[in-house]
Amino acid sequence: MTGVKRANRFALILLGLFILPVLAVLGQAFLRPNAWPELLAFLRSGQFRRVLAFSTSQAFWSAFFSLALAVPGAYFFGRYQFPGKRLLRSVMILPFMLPGILVVLAMVVFYGQNGIFNRWLAVFFPGRNLAFTGLYGYKGIVLAHVFYNFAFCLRMLGERWERISPKLEEASAVLGAGRLTTWRRVILPLLVPTIGYLGVLVFLYSFLSFTVVLVLGGYLYQTFEVLIYIEYNNKLRFTHASMLAAVQMLLLTGILALQRWTQRLVQRQSGEPGPLPPLQPRRQLVKTALFLFYLAGSLLFFFMPLFFVLLRSFKHRGQPDGAWTLDNYRQLFGVGFRFVVGRDLWTVVGTSLGLAVTVGLVTMVLAYLLARARRHQPWGRIDLWLQVPMGVSFLTFAFGLLKLVGRALPPAFLIVWAQVFLAFPLVYALLRTARREWGEELLEAAQTLGASGWELFCTVELPLMRKALSSAFAYGAALSLGDLAAVLVLGQGKVVTLAVAVYRLIGHYSFPQAIALGTLFILLAAVLFMVVEGGYRGFGSGGHEEGSKQ
Amino acid sequence: MKKDFLRIDVTKDFPEFRLTANLTVAEGEFFSLVGPSGCGKTTLLRLISGLLQPDHGRIILNGRDLTAVPVAERRIGFVFQDYALFPHLTVGENIEYGLKVRRLPAARRLERVRAMLAVFEITALADRRVQELSGGERQRVALARALAPEPFLLLLDEPFAALDYGLRRRLRRELKELQSRLGFTAIFVTHHQEEALSLSERLAVMQAGRILQVGTATEVYTNPAHPFVATFLGDANLIPCTVTPTAGGLQIHPQGGRAFTLPPPGTGADAFGHSSGGGSGAAGTAGQFFLMIRPEDVVFTSEDPLYRGVVATWEYLGYGSYAEVKTDNGPLLKVLTGKETRLALGTRVGLAFQKPALKLLPINGDYPS
Repeated sequence: MTGVKRANRFALILLGLFILPVLAVLGQAFLRPNAWPELLAFLRSGQFRRVLAFSTSQAFWSAFFSLALAVPGAYFFGRYQFPGKRLLRSVMILPFMLPGILVVLAMVVFYGQNGIFNRWLAVFFPGRNLAFTGLYGYKGIVLAHVFYNFAFCLRMLGERWERISPKLEEASAVLGAGRLTTWRRVILPLLVPTIGYLGVLVFLYSFLSFTVVLVLGGYLYQTFEVLIYIEYNNKLRFTHASMLAAVQMLLLTGILALQRWTQRLVQRQSGEPGPLPPLQPRRQLVKTALFLFYLAGSLLFFFMPLFFVLLRSFKHRGQPDGAWTLDNYRQLFGVGFRFVVGRDLWTVVGTSLGLAVTVGLVTMVLAYLLARARRHQPWGRIDLWLQVPMGVSFLTFAFGLLKLVGRALPPAFLIVWAQVFLAFPLVYALLRTARREWGEELLEAAQTLGASGWELFCTVELPLMRKALSSAFAYGAALSLGDLAAVLVLGQGKVVTLAVAVYRLIGHYSFPQAIALGTLFILLAAVLFMVVEGGYRGFGSGGHEEGSKQ
Repeated sequence: MKKDFLRIDVTKDFPEFRLTANLTVAEGEFFSLVGPSGCGKTTLLRLISGLLQPDHGRIILNGRDLTAVPVAERRIGFVFQDYALFPHLTVGENIEYGLKVRRLPAARRLERVRAMLAVFEITALADRRVQELSGGERQRVALARALAPEPFLLLLDEPFAALDYGLRRRLRRELKELQSRLGFTAIFVTHHQEEALSLSERLAVMQAGRILQVGTATEVYTNPAHPFVATFLGDANLIPCTVTPTAGGLQIHPQGGRAFTLPPPGTGADAFGHSSGGGSGAAGTAGQFFLMIRPEDVVFTSEDPLYRGVVATWEYLGYGSYAEVKTDNGPLLKVLTGKETRLALGTRVGLAFQKPALKLLPINGDYPS
């Protein structure tokens, strides 16, 4: 068997392991008596209309606000050089890497009824009775999604802007166009594919949102993900849950086609980032002031919530005006924690880390073996198929897996399976791009110098792939660490991870402990984030996408 | 010095073409493979190095059959087109790599690395990352790395391709000087005729997977054996002509020009490229040929010219001028003149050929039988 055939067979096996659970969901949805009449009845129902309207509208506004807020910042990042730009750009991706449950926690701490934001409003506008009360509802959900995606959009759009040569603006000016015309006729058309791509991506993530909507939406606001979970977990209507998952998959097909189309438009664009002029505060006073204002606003609204999770974890009962204390952390070792969460802290941390390390390693090894085997092939149909899990929700996949082999395999194994396949597209795209980047010549050079076998792998391949592999591992581990849906469904209550623990603590209104545990969780996510950033080579530049389930 | 230090007799099939090569390289020789992109030069290098396996045939280096020997054990140095320097290693570490994987003791490695750094005058760069180097510096590091393990043979795959003209010329001279000094055997691949002619002791011209001619630079330039060789190495006029043997020699009827007679084959350096009374099977036969004449061997004349025509192009080159003459009922002929000649476009001129420089070449590469 040739190498290509072996690689294709390997890819098909991996694809099969992913597709079988999805087929199980579709099978349960459609291959049973009365399946089609039930489906039609559901499609005609008010519930379908409500969920569809909410899912699409919140996803639309989330994408709209994420991009609207990102464009001005992208201009400064794409057109000017300033001190700390690299660091800022790095930090910007942090919210995107955070587990959904932590985002919710940060939102509650900062924008909640008794949150910092409302306290500030009371201080700065005394007697006006101003307060943000919409966190648990539509506005809160959109706010959380914007919190999640805004900085990511800013970073990607800024990087695209950097690749648009300033010479184009000069050429346009020489030809007689004013600033506005140049922006409208030259810059904007070049940015539109990236804006479109990011818009569809944020829409997709928000459409599939689970944790944010589950906690902030209650029973009033439901995406299909949440509805599937409620049908499965609360109402125990398994076949109905399958049908909902199938409907969601059909709806996603259209979004994914759109996403693929916009992605191709972005990939077609070329251009290397050139030298940028520095932002000069003395000569560009207004511009600098606007930028600083923008930066301060962004930090306030998007990074303060995280900061206050950390801060309040050291306050008595998590109250902003409480005394400094380590009580919240001490309580993590107490009976109360065990009573609410169902496991002691060490078991929770151990389970989370064990799962994360396993998922990170397995995903990295599988993806690298395939990327290596297919290194001579251009990006083809098989690679595209391997990206399909990007468009399937954790919940649907987990649900299918449970249906298929739920009784035969232990919960931890099922969770690893689900998380590996959901992390796979991202990790594979990253490693495939990195592996193809340096081609074969370096290995051939090493061979002509006398290296072979393991020596070749250890002295050339591994050092060259080290950063990409560590990024791949960190992505896999981060996805596993942040996943709530697959653990809730497949863990069947027996597997308690950090995400599940925070979710249970919030559910029991044990906020002080939730904040303390959340802080530990943030630190863990930050470590993984630093590993990813260490190996980072440029978002979107290699044709791969970044993703996270919210 | 062994004349058949390297013997190659291989074929390799690809979907789009078949590579057939049969040649020998002498010990200490600087041999070039020259031809257009895609003619199989790099493939032949890869076959020699072991990065590719031939479908048939053998490669024998210094009496040892290498055909089944793994790449790592062949001790053949390779300088890649893009140098393929390891980006995770410093300059010194790159040079040391081949010695390390061959398990040389640390002291000897250090000594050899130092020596190579000194030979290539890059001692100051030893601790630099390869990303920080200029094109010329990278080229030196690649050469030093390939030569450090003291290979039996050095293969160079268009190592100057990425460099600008001035640097290219300088490094070319340096490479030649180094090869003479160190005495290594080298096979150099290029598609640059100037590079091949100036560097090589012998060269092989390749086209579409075949070696068309092997010889010294002078031989191949002055006596091309194939129309492709004539046009690829230097510029040439190829005029279709009919050859008729007569008692006084060969009667040549060039297309659109006046007929003339050349000395019979085998008398001195004849038009078939024989340097002495050879008269091989192809020579001396009647039929259709290409009459090959280099532009520098075409002269303007008003007395009994072979062709008449008008100047269609005139380019001043500084050291002379290049002209194209549209002949009456004949081909467009290229002329390289001295700097004293200046003609306006449209001027009517007569052209003659310097007869010793005329060559008869087979049409389609084969002599008529």
